[in-house]
Amino acid sequence: MFAWNAWRFDWLRGYDASANDLYADLVARENALPSETESGVWHTPPLWFALVGGLRRLAEAAGWEPVQRPGQLLAALAGIALCVVVLLLARELWPSRHALQLVALVTIAASPALVRASAMYHPETLAAALGTGGLLVAVRTLRRGPTYASGITAGGLLGLASLTRAWALPVLVVVSVAVILGAATRRVWGPALALVVTAGALVAPWLANQQLVHGSPFAFNREAPDAALLGRRPAAFFLGPRALRVFDHPVTPIHRNELVPQLYADWWGDWALTWDTPPQPLPGALLPSHVVAERVRQSIAGIVPTIAGLAGLIALAVLGAARRSLAIALVPAASLAVAAAFVLFTVRYPSTDGDTIKATYLLLALPGAAVGTGFVVDSLRPVGRLGTLVVVLAVAVLVAVQVPFLVL
Amino acid sequence: MTERRAARLGLAGALALVLAQLGVGSAWSLTHDDPTELELTRRCLERERGFAVEETIGDAVASSASGGTVTAIVEGNLVVISVVASADEAERLRLAYGSAEGELGPRLEVRGRYVSRWRRDPSGTQRQATYDCAY
Repeated sequence: MFAWNAWRFDWLRGYDASANDLYADLVARENALPSETESGVWHTPPLWFALVGGLRRLAEAAGWEPVQRPGQLLAALAGIALCVVVLLLARELWPSRHALQLVALVTIAASPALVRASAMYHPETLAAALGTGGLLVAVRTLRRGPTYASGITAGGLLGLASLTRAWALPVLVVVSVAVILGAATRRVWGPALALVVTAGALVAPWLANQQLVHGSPFAFNREAPDAALLGRRPAAFFLGPRALRVFDHPVTPIHRNELVPQLYADWWGDWALTWDTPPQPLPGALLPSHVVAERVRQSIAGIVPTIAGLAGLIALAVLGAARRSLAIALVPAASLAVAAAFVLFTVRYPSTDGDTIKATYLLLALPGAAVGTGFVVDSLRPVGRLGTLVVVLAVAVLVAVQVPFLVL
Repeated sequence: MTERRAARLGLAGALALVLAQLGVGSAWSLTHDDPTELELTRRCLERERGFAVEETIGDAVASSASGGTVTAIVEGNLVVISVVASADEAERLRLAYGSAEGELGPRLEVRGRYVSRWRRDPSGTQRQATYDCAY
């Protein structure tokens, strides 16, 4: 499904598609980072652009059109890798609970935000796959004991993820803290140090470059308003007063810049109308009725998995704290850190068109929610074959309802 | 702490969060009405463009539009604007005007959710004024 969608999706409909292509082309041709005038996404770390720039040149040499297609297929491959990593994460924490693993896998694979991102000409899925890979290695390390190899691998994966998208930085920080706490318990410091040094060696040059060239290691392509942080967004942003409208019109411009409703509509559908729709209509134009109806169905289908995902994150946090298990607590902590960074970012950089509220920004929070969903469903399901059958049927129905939206 | 108990606590916490958000949404819906497209259009024509705007009277076709109707005088030309909810409804209004008044040519314009019935052939600037007030 991911590869099929990547093959069929118009690369120009993805987020920042033209700016991404300018960046990739520049990196490949000149081995240079773009200036602020050369690409609108100059603030994004360069790893994905370097890879895609190379693929782009190969496609050009082979006469393959469009030359951006290999970049989309890389995003799809990363999306598939993310699903596999989540399955391995669930197996690592609960090796004998196959229903839990299956629900976690289906939850992430059928998550519309991931499916859409996996078809785009965009670095988000690569960062999510690498970052979650680092999380998996860290969880293994915390459960089985630290080694230099695991420290270097986790640091390497998280460093590369941070060199792909800045959303991986909160995961890197949380993983580093957890591994250091684990090292303090075991009094074995070497592997934790290896993790921090490896990740730092990979990401520090990029952050230093941003500081030197653009004045901040976290520079963004617009100035933050000169106002107190909490004064940058109105109360409606935090409260989401038009929340109920996600069930009758979950597309732009309704609930624009209302954090939770816009995020929910974008997670389960595509709020900005970039997926399998005509281009966003001009003011006064009519949307085809099936476009809205399909997204309403997605919003309704998202109710139960959303509750299960939130429940899973809370449950894993509670369980990790109660059992003093860093390995379990690390999973929801990583999701929470990404969510906190996302909220901080959207508050820091308000935009009139709602552009800084995108569900795909939260892909690195998804693995925790997926594993948590598996945990909650498996822990609360009735025991016995009937219980298993009910769970399998419910999951199958949930996926089947979404198939028309998920498959292009 | 059993895993079942942790899962139950998680579920309770998640339900509390979701219900809180739905509570805010419900309270807002009960106490606020977002302006309709017609209200926004009327406000734009009147306040931003400075045209005379009044209720539509004596136009049965426009009065049947599900999104309502308003009449404005745009640069001296009277226009009855109706707001529809679907392409089918727009077509219904177009056919109804055709059967009631015959061929209207450029005096009848269907554009997205707006059906405009002009008294005289509209100029480019008159048309643009109504486009600028479409939502």
